[in-house]
Amino acid sequence: MAALPDDFTLPLLTAFNREWFTSGTLAIQSCAKCSTLQHPPEEVCRNCGEMTFGTHVLAPTGTISSHTVVHYAPSRALEGSVPYVVVLVSLDDEPRLRVVGNLLDAAPPDVQIGAPVTCEWTSYAGDDGAAIKLPQWRLA
Amino acid sequence: MYGAAVVAGVGESTYYKRGGATETEFQLACIAIRRAVADAGLSMADVDGFVSYMDRNDPVRLSAALGTGDLNFSAQTFGGGGNGAGAAVTIADAAITAGYASCLVVFRALAQGQFGRYGRAGGARRAGGAAAFTAPYGLLTPAQITAMQTTRYMHDHGVTQDSLAAIVLTSYAHAQHNPRALRYGHPLTRADYDASRWIAEPFHLFDCCPENDGAAAIVVISRDRARDLEKPGVAIVAAAHGLSRGDGAAGFSDVNFPTAYYGHVGRTLWSRAGCGPADVQVAQFYENFTGPVLMAIAEMGFCEPRALNDFVADGNISWPDGRLPINTSGGNLGEGYIHGFGNVIEAVRQVRGESTCQVSSVELSLSVSGPGYAPGSAVLFGRA
Repeated sequence: MAALPDDFTLPLLTAFNREWFTSGTLAIQSCAKCSTLQHPPEEVCRNCGEMTFGTHVLAPTGTISSHTVVHYAPSRALEGSVPYVVVLVSLDDEPRLRVVGNLLDAAPPDVQIGAPVTCEWTSYAGDDGAAIKLPQWRLA
Repeated sequence: MYGAAVVAGVGESTYYKRGGATETEFQLACIAIRRAVADAGLSMADVDGFVSYMDRNDPVRLSAALGTGDLNFSAQTFGGGGNGAGAAVTIADAAITAGYASCLVVFRALAQGQFGRYGRAGGARRAGGAAAFTAPYGLLTPAQITAMQTTRYMHDHGVTQDSLAAIVLTSYAHAQHNPRALRYGHPLTRADYDASRWIAEPFHLFDCCPENDGAAAIVVISRDRARDLEKPGVAIVAAAHGLSRGDGAAGFSDVNFPTAYYGHVGRTLWSRAGCGPADVQVAQFYENFTGPVLMAIAEMGFCEPRALNDFVADGNISWPDGRLPINTSGGNLGEGYIHGFGNVIEAVRQVRGESTCQVSSVELSLSVSGPGYAPGSAVLFGRA
């Protein structure tokens, strides 16, 4: 199973997610004051209330926390892509942080909770010249 | 205090398949509201406010069109969708108990054939906010999102596909007794379920609520005022809505993932009511998808997650002989999907003795709203 079509929905870049979607790393939002990591990014630190952030790069490995095989295309743009696999990945460095992605080149029987996966990035042309690099997952 | 209010009347429009309504959504709302007010033995001039959730039918327009009395109150809950049904009843109880209104209509009108479909989404060029982290991967619809919760929950607690099927087959069996139900006359077998196509694993087509057109309403007044009416009111014994601290963050980052957001609601409801799950004779669990129903049964305290397979097996949730009949009108799956407000009406009917699958000697009747979306909400009804 492949990734979704090249012209499918891409993230709208903001100050809060730009590093995650352009750096080609798992640049997790990190509170500038208390260093709490949170994902997906939020505009306020859930721990201390701070509103300025940096990022902290975590290793591109994790395990499958949950998954679904999508058979019914929710939009016309995906009719040629079903079935596709959506996974929730718990990161090895910080297992409470979970990241959504597609599982590339895997058939449903291989999609198991607990399976180790590694991250790779698929590049797309962004709106302002910056390439969007979308994290995706592959069985380790 | 809470619980000074009672439900004096219930009403619904005809329920249609999506796109089947000959009336507009606003007309459906007016039909359901008129019937609920008439059922209460009240007149439209008595109505002084409206409460709903995620609804498009404005109380100002409704009050003018229906010829209500002076408007004293209007409110609508926040939050994803059907999870707001019980919350709307909570607000009505609060307003009546506090004296801000004297006769409130709580309603939901939903003509999915006239507006967007819930099962279709995506295709936008860019996704912002939390959706930026899910939409590019084709994770877009409630079926897919609750599938992600359900897969992990089934894995953690050994919940089987048989248990998902039991929720569906129970609703369909109950709908065969309810002439108002859209699936009346359309029984479903386990073989039909197994043969139905996958939507998003572990959900087959029949694990997913249908899309319908219709409206449902109740009338809420004070316990004192209900004494003058012909039909006895049904008490709002307690209601609750909310979520546990640390849950509700986007992208499945809830502290208690996977959760249906009912642990806190359950604890709060039973504490307020001064009783527990064992005291309830009948329950309506909003079926958006079967997995979250099972999660809500456990989180509301009816059994441990590990015991869910036994709890729903062998007719244990079926009318008339099950130990806890659920979704006795046919529920969202069998009667019709009016964003779960039909489940609220059915819970009231069970106390009145008016259900088409009437459980004997009902003292307490529970309605649990849309699980898997926060904040959750639930209402416990009883004899006034």
